[in-house]
Amino acid sequence: MASLDEIKKVIVDFATNTKKSKFYFKDMEKAVQKVIPDAKSREIKKAATALINEGTLVYFSTGSSTMYGLKGRGISLETEETGKAD
Amino acid sequence: MSAEGEEKLWETKKYDEVRIYKDEEIWNYTDEELANYKCKHDTPLLDQLEEGPWPSFVSDIKQEALHRHKLPEDKLLIPADVCDDLLGQVELSYVEKETHWKHGGIVGVFGYGGGVIGRYSDQQEKFPGVAHFHTLRVNQPASKFYKTDYLRALCDIWEYRGSGLTNMHGSTGDTVLLGTFTEQLEPVFFDLTHDLGVDLGGSGSNLRTPSCCVGKARCEFACYDTQDICYELTMHYQDELHRPAFPYKFKFKFDGCPNCCVASIARSDMSYIGTWKDDIRIDQEAVRAYVAGELKPNAGAFGGRDWGKFDIQKEVIDLCPAGCMEWDGKELKVNNKECVRCMHCINVMPRALRIGTDTGCSILFGAKAPILEGAQMSMLTIPFIRVEKPYDAIKDIVDKVWDWWMEEGKNRERVGELIQRKGVQEFVTKVLGIPAIPQMAKEPRSNPYVFWSEDEVPGGWQRDINEFRKRHPR
Ligand code: HEM
Ligand code: HEM
Ligand code: SF4
Ligand code: SF4
Repeated sequence: MASLDEIKKVIVDFATNTKKSKFYFKDMEKAVQKVIPDAKSREIKKAATALINEGTLVYFSTGSSTMYGLKGRGISLETEETGKAD
Repeated sequence: MSAEGEEKLWETKKYDEVRIYKDEEIWNYTDEELANYKCKHDTPLLDQLEEGPWPSFVSDIKQEALHRHKLPEDKLLIPADVCDDLLGQVELSYVEKETHWKHGGIVGVFGYGGGVIGRYSDQQEKFPGVAHFHTLRVNQPASKFYKTDYLRALCDIWEYRGSGLTNMHGSTGDTVLLGTFTEQLEPVFFDLTHDLGVDLGGSGSNLRTPSCCVGKARCEFACYDTQDICYELTMHYQDELHRPAFPYKFKFKFDGCPNCCVASIARSDMSYIGTWKDDIRIDQEAVRAYVAGELKPNAGAFGGRDWGKFDIQKEVIDLCPAGCMEWDGKELKVNNKECVRCMHCINVMPRALRIGTDTGCSILFGAKAPILEGAQMSMLTIPFIRVEKPYDAIKDIVDKVWDWWMEEGKNRERVGELIQRKGVQEFVTKVLGIPAIPQMAKEPRSNPYVFWSEDEVPGGWQRDINEFRKRHPR
């Protein structure tokens, strides 16, 4: 079984290198399971939550659905507020 | 407001202690001032909305705009003219027929993936008061029971740190606080949790704030305690409520009976609707009193007009959707085996007819508004289940459905759409492991979802074509 730290590392790799700056939980889950096939979605969620709490990942929400992203990559609070994002 | 036996992390204050405004600051304008109030922007199109027969949100917002202008500046942490700028931006949208709200964002409170909905104006120079206009969802108490001192404290916090505008309640059920700036989000969250003892609700791809009808608190039709299970599942599924990892939103709603006062059948992915297994209880004496006009049908709810004498045949027997009632002039008979628990007869004659005593709920899945696919109502899946503390059997079902949906669901696919895509058969027999029943099929030919699987058929899918041709020559 993969440890939380291993899963976190795969998530950060994915979030850093994936083409899109924000992605759905499912995309992240698939990316993790490619590297660690036996990782369960609950474990992946735990790892993602830990990364959120550490400030490495951020949530992006439209209000109706939610995505994840690496903090500072692509959309940031500043660009959002000056209206330059997307 | 922590439950009995739970450890308290901090002492919740008395609502009176967290008040910010004095009474004279709340009632700080006259009717005359309101009538003469001139909004910062011209809003001729919005003004038209005030002329109709119904109360208008435009009037409400103007009232709040005036109120804010008359409050001392040091008692407002976001612009006093947020309401004027809101009206100005909406007016502009009415003219241009285009929204000026920017959708979405990374705003939120620490550790939570839901509860805050980020909105920004794309006309920030024209309307600086709504440059940020984030919404917060606050988890409402079960059945929306409030005390006035709580509401006063809540409104004070929101006047001080937000626009003062609320929506009681959003269609999810939450108390909705409309419009504030990013830097106020954490302080509002702190005040709500520490001073008022309430939490944020759900938004985004997570469990949305569960909601329930008034249930046993006031209603004799309640077949189970909607408030208790609503609270219990809210607490049990905190992680799902605050940390989004679902393909899309998921809603629970709890109705104590098929009258469906929270419209669970139309508005929730998993609808819990109270029902009973045994017979409708009949008080024949009271039935005769209704017929004789001594008791008012529908408890007098339609008393505003003269509908003529109550006609039990026309108004009850003939309207029973199951056609399972009979009235011979003296006695009312119900064929309970055919009754579909529509509640009509009970609603008309509540003194004479009562729900049965062997009660529980039906669980239905899949209601949703149109996003990817069209709107749909929930489908009856579990006809009867007991609703008993600690609700383990129900939690088991929830967990199975979520595991399947998280595994198989596509991004932004609601569970109802997944059931459509994969078929009811897979959902019912494979995911839930319950037998399908004929009533689940609307028409056998247009909705043929009950298929045999290979191991249920003697010889499986293989056949010997030569053997077959011996019996059925070409
Ligand atoms: C009193 C006489 C009859 C009644 C009340 C009756 C009623 C019905 C009903 C209710 C259906 C189901 C329709 C549906 O679910 O969409 C049906 C289907 C059918 N009936 Fe009859 N029927 C009668 C006589 C007959 C006779 C005499 C025949 C043939 C000689 C016949 C042939 C069929 C066939 C082939 C179907 C289609 C079955 C299917 O879709 O699976 N019926 N009938
Ligand atoms: C070789 C003979 C026959 C064949 C291949 C045949 C085939 C079919 C087919 C394919 C349908 C449509 C089923 C569907 O809606 O999915 C149908 C419907 C029907 N057939 Fe036949 N049929 C045959 C003989 C008969 C006979 C002899 C009768 C009546 C005496 C009959 C009465 C009906 C009726 C009433 C329906 C409509 C059922 C409904 O819509 O519910 N069929 N048949
Ligand atoms: S849904 Fe039924 S039980 Fe709940 S409040 Fe309405 S009538 Fe009463
Ligand atoms: S509840 Fe509805 S279906 Fe049942 S007997 Fe009354 S009217 Fe008929």
